[in-house]
Amino acid sequence: MRINHKIMSAKLKDSKISEFSTGKDPFAKARKKGSSRWILAHILHGSNKWFITIIFFTIILSANLSSITYIIIGETISALLNGMTVILGNYIILLFILGITGPLMRIGSRMLIEILAQRLERDARREFFSNLLGKSQSFHDQMKIGELMARVTDDVRMLNFLISPALSLVVESFTYLFIPIFYIILYYPIQLIIEPIFFSISFLILLRSYSKKIGPITGRLRENFGLMTATLSETLSGIEVVKATVQEEKEMKKYLTNAKNYKKAFIERGKLQAKYLPILVLALVITAGFAHSIVLYNYGLINIGQIIAFLGILGLLRFPTNISMFVFSIFRLAGSSAVRLLELMNKKTEIDENKEGKEKVFKGIIKFDKVEFNYPNSKNPVLKNISFEIQSGQTVAIVGTTGSGKTTLTKLISRLYDVSSGRILIDGRDIREYSLQSLRDQISYIEQDVFLFSTTIFDNISFGRVSSLEEVIKVAEQAQAHDFISELPDEYQSKVGERGVQLSGGERQRIAIARAFLSDPRILILDDSTSAIDSNTEDKIQFAIKNILKNRTTMLITHRLSQIRWADLILVLKNGEIVAKGNHEELLKTSEEYRKIFVKKFDIEEDQLLKGVRE
Amino acid sequence: MWVGLEAEEYDRKYQDKVLVKRIISYFSPYKKAMLLVIIFLTISSLTMAFQPILTSLIITNLETTPEPLYVIFLIVIIFIFNILGWIINYVRQIYSSRVIGSVVLDIRKDAHKSVVNHDLSFFDKNPLGKIVSRINTDSRDFGETVEMSIEVVSSVVVLILLITVMFTVDVVLTFVLLISLPLFFIAALSFRKFARKMTLQGQRALASVNAYTKESFSGIQIAKTFRREKKVYDDFLAVNNQSYRVNLKRAFLLNAIYPTLGLIQGVVTMLLILIGSSFVIDGFVGVGELVLFIQSINLLFFPLLIIASFWPMFQTGMAASERIFALIDTLPAVVQKNNIVPSKLKGEIEFKNLNFQYDKSKKVFDNFSLKVNPGESIALVGHTGAGKSSIAKLIARFYEFQGGDILVDGKSIKEYDLTEYRKHIGIIPQTPFLWADTVENNIKYGFENASEEDVMNALEISGGSEWIKSLPDGLKTNIRERGSLLSMGQRQLVVFARVLLEDPSILILDEATASVDPFTETKIQEALEKTIEDRTSIIIAHRLWTVRHVDRIVVLDHGKIVEEGNHDELMKRKGTYANLYNTYFRHQSLQYIEDMGKSNE
Repeated sequence: MRINHKIMSAKLKDSKISEFSTGKDPFAKARKKGSSRWILAHILHGSNKWFITIIFFTIILSANLSSITYIIIGETISALLNGMTVILGNYIILLFILGITGPLMRIGSRMLIEILAQRLERDARREFFSNLLGKSQSFHDQMKIGELMARVTDDVRMLNFLISPALSLVVESFTYLFIPIFYIILYYPIQLIIEPIFFSISFLILLRSYSKKIGPITGRLRENFGLMTATLSETLSGIEVVKATVQEEKEMKKYLTNAKNYKKAFIERGKLQAKYLPILVLALVITAGFAHSIVLYNYGLINIGQIIAFLGILGLLRFPTNISMFVFSIFRLAGSSAVRLLELMNKKTEIDENKEGKEKVFKGIIKFDKVEFNYPNSKNPVLKNISFEIQSGQTVAIVGTTGSGKTTLTKLISRLYDVSSGRILIDGRDIREYSLQSLRDQISYIEQDVFLFSTTIFDNISFGRVSSLEEVIKVAEQAQAHDFISELPDEYQSKVGERGVQLSGGERQRIAIARAFLSDPRILILDDSTSAIDSNTEDKIQFAIKNILKNRTTMLITHRLSQIRWADLILVLKNGEIVAKGNHEELLKTSEEYRKIFVKKFDIEEDQLLKGVRE
Repeated sequence: MWVGLEAEEYDRKYQDKVLVKRIISYFSPYKKAMLLVIIFLTISSLTMAFQPILTSLIITNLETTPEPLYVIFLIVIIFIFNILGWIINYVRQIYSSRVIGSVVLDIRKDAHKSVVNHDLSFFDKNPLGKIVSRINTDSRDFGETVEMSIEVVSSVVVLILLITVMFTVDVVLTFVLLISLPLFFIAALSFRKFARKMTLQGQRALASVNAYTKESFSGIQIAKTFRREKKVYDDFLAVNNQSYRVNLKRAFLLNAIYPTLGLIQGVVTMLLILIGSSFVIDGFVGVGELVLFIQSINLLFFPLLIIASFWPMFQTGMAASERIFALIDTLPAVVQKNNIVPSKLKGEIEFKNLNFQYDKSKKVFDNFSLKVNPGESIALVGHTGAGKSSIAKLIARFYEFQGGDILVDGKSIKEYDLTEYRKHIGIIPQTPFLWADTVENNIKYGFENASEEDVMNALEISGGSEWIKSLPDGLKTNIRERGSLLSMGQRQLVVFARVLLEDPSILILDEATASVDPFTETKIQEALEKTIEDRTSIIIAHRLWTVRHVDRIVVLDHGKIVEEGNHDELMKRKGTYANLYNTYFRHQSLQYIEDMGKSNE
């Protein structure tokens, strides 16, 4: 109880519980404050804030340069009309300089923006990845890998797009929206600002309503495209079933429903973009401005050069107008991407590293004391009232139908999940008192679907502990894996999954056994549910398993009757409860279901089977 | 692997003429709409191109002898053009997105239809991901190309009109303006080349991030149990930083292009003013006309950009359309000669001098003959590669055979209507495939009208329905992608129930090699016993039990029958089967189990 209490108070104290951390996490607070705050924290992080300041500065400067250019063009034309050839040369040199510095400056600011955008992508991805590593196994069980991948690549990339082009273009277009007005005030009769001001205001209003609509439509378009891909992939993966059951039509209908929704969204987007009003408003405003300046010309308030410059300055508004049509949907998308990322990162996880916990070398006595377990957010208990004890060096076989909780039971020992109630003791001490490092270091798993990384065989075997080639070969020999590895093209340096290195289930399993040998655990958990077909392999696997069981406390999930037959203790699980417990002879007597396996399998009469036991 | 640039086997090179014709044929149902689009496009381009011309007329007028009425008239016309241009463009865009949307949908429909009707040899050769990307992504790219082509047409109209007018105003200035064109194109195209390379690298870098993530989290449990998160994280940092570097380089390059084009524009503007002003001073041109040139540069900038980037994009789009058409046009290898609809099959199967190969290098069957009587159950036994699975796949007509014949109820299977024929065949594949749907719908798949009672009944027969209750929502539980919520054994039970509901005349069962826990295994065996009763059954055997209980065991070796008979007969003969049995299935014998433990001590 004391421990439970300690854990509870730790939870209350801080929600930064994690199984793994890199030591630095500057965005931990911002993550709790919502997506915009989080993005902002990233933008202002470290040297990024200097970048963004410089970017703002250069964008404003280049908007100024553009306006000045047009004013000088106007002056040039006036000079022409008035025949002032002397000044003319100066103006043209000035224009030349402006014409070159403008684009150069823009290149500079674009580069800075890109650095910022790429950094944001890199940092957000790093943060997300390390955060995921710290999440508990129960979290990962619920996640689809495809979904994680979409987050790590697409969603994180949206943050990049948010800076470049979206944010930079928005900043650019807003400066282009207001800087020209400033120059009009400086150089022209004040009344000429009516048109640009009118435009700026109506543009903002129209843009607001446009961007509100375009976001959801773009989202729907993407979503439907995703659905189209998902249904099509599923159909094609199951094509054999589709054909065997003659359901081609049905599958096609499924796909067409999505494809039609996509078309609908596509047309809707087309409509909305066609309806984009700011383009019309700008055209009218430019013409009105033209008319207005002609009137002023009539009164002699401005000259022709100024009219032309004025038109040029108004023309600068085209850029923000056209670009805004596309940029705003990115904001929406990036926003929802950030929300999705945060949603996962902010999910609570229940198991902590417990760095201050006890560290010791285990003898390997395991005791389950009234253990119950249900998955987070689920009411159905997966394990109920599990109690048993294993002595150091013994082997326990766990049998039962899948879904009866066998695998879950073994995962509780290394705290991939924590028990909901009751406790698990190793050497008489609650496992939650040990540090996670110490606990997991001494427990090895050989799982059912052996997972190998697509690196070399050597790397895979030495995954748990850095070792020399000699050591690796030694354990491979013990695991009966050396022979087939030697036959691979590059032996231990062969890459898993490459041509010629397609490993069978039995071979993968032996690599996993070698891996476990190398880490030399006190407690071994072996989910041995694969079956080798050819006889030679089967012998080798059985031999390898026998080797590794020696002198270790072992929990064995197995379908091999031979292993069940010879275990020190057999637990029969059903719907999360132990329905029978004992060795082979005891179970033949007490468990009907257990007996049935042998009867059915070997076509022998029950009496005969029991007779063997009695003798 | 990364970008899918390699050609596929079903790719064919279309002649440009053929390709264009094909594309046009997709647009022909929308002829009227397309015509409208083209007309409106031209009008709206014209209204756009006329504006700088009108502006310059006004300036010229102001400069010389201002006539207020004339100026007002022109201004009003510009206003009208503004509004008209917008409205016409609005209508045009709506029509074009409708047409493009429909054409893309039509193409997708055709491609999907063609793909699902292919036989399995097609899917063996072509990775699924690529087919999906052809149907979905290539069609989208094609649509985008059409959209862009429309833009280009409009740009070209504007361009031609403006240049013509400019020539009439002043030839020299027009030439100055035209200098910018080649510069522009050279810059844009050479960028394009580098950009392509860099983009490819960028995509690859991102793909490695993707692949690494997939691997890390597929193996997360190992990383956790071995406490090697740090290693995984460090490796990730390397991949992530590489992606950062490569993509930054790419971004630098891509971002340089617009300012560079801007630079060209700036230089040309200066040249125009320089030369233009001397012309004005000399009286060759008026200020209004010079203004026309200056304004035109701005107007030309976007159309030029679109045209410059058009050609490579156009090629991409054409290539995309070519890929889809190639997919649509590939003929299935399995072709039926007739369409006899069988009402009910008795289930007599005869292989007659059959020749079959998956590819030219390796013959699977050479002159193979075998007869299966109605209602008989046979087990096929033999090493991997002996041809067991091929027999099953040929009966289901998943592959075309090269010679001889397969007769079902005395008729060649080429004579049947494929859809109707397959309705009488039930197949239980080695790896059970389930849909991301409820248990109930998975069982009903192929037999939609079944009631819940039928479903429960089928489950009951196939090893009991008890386990369904342990699922969160019983029969209505969504079992997720490929049935991942269920165990292997449970998935097999669902497939058994599905086939039972179908009640086929011929049952083909490819036994699973993956082992199932002993409890479920006994259930599957019971289910199997019931399923093969009273129907022709062909079992590709991997298990001891099945072999012993069938009517006849056929031992295959390299596409030839080496032995036939029931279990006892064959064991007595002490031939291949007895040998196979003793090594192959030895591990599942009681003797082996007893010996195993003893040797341990």
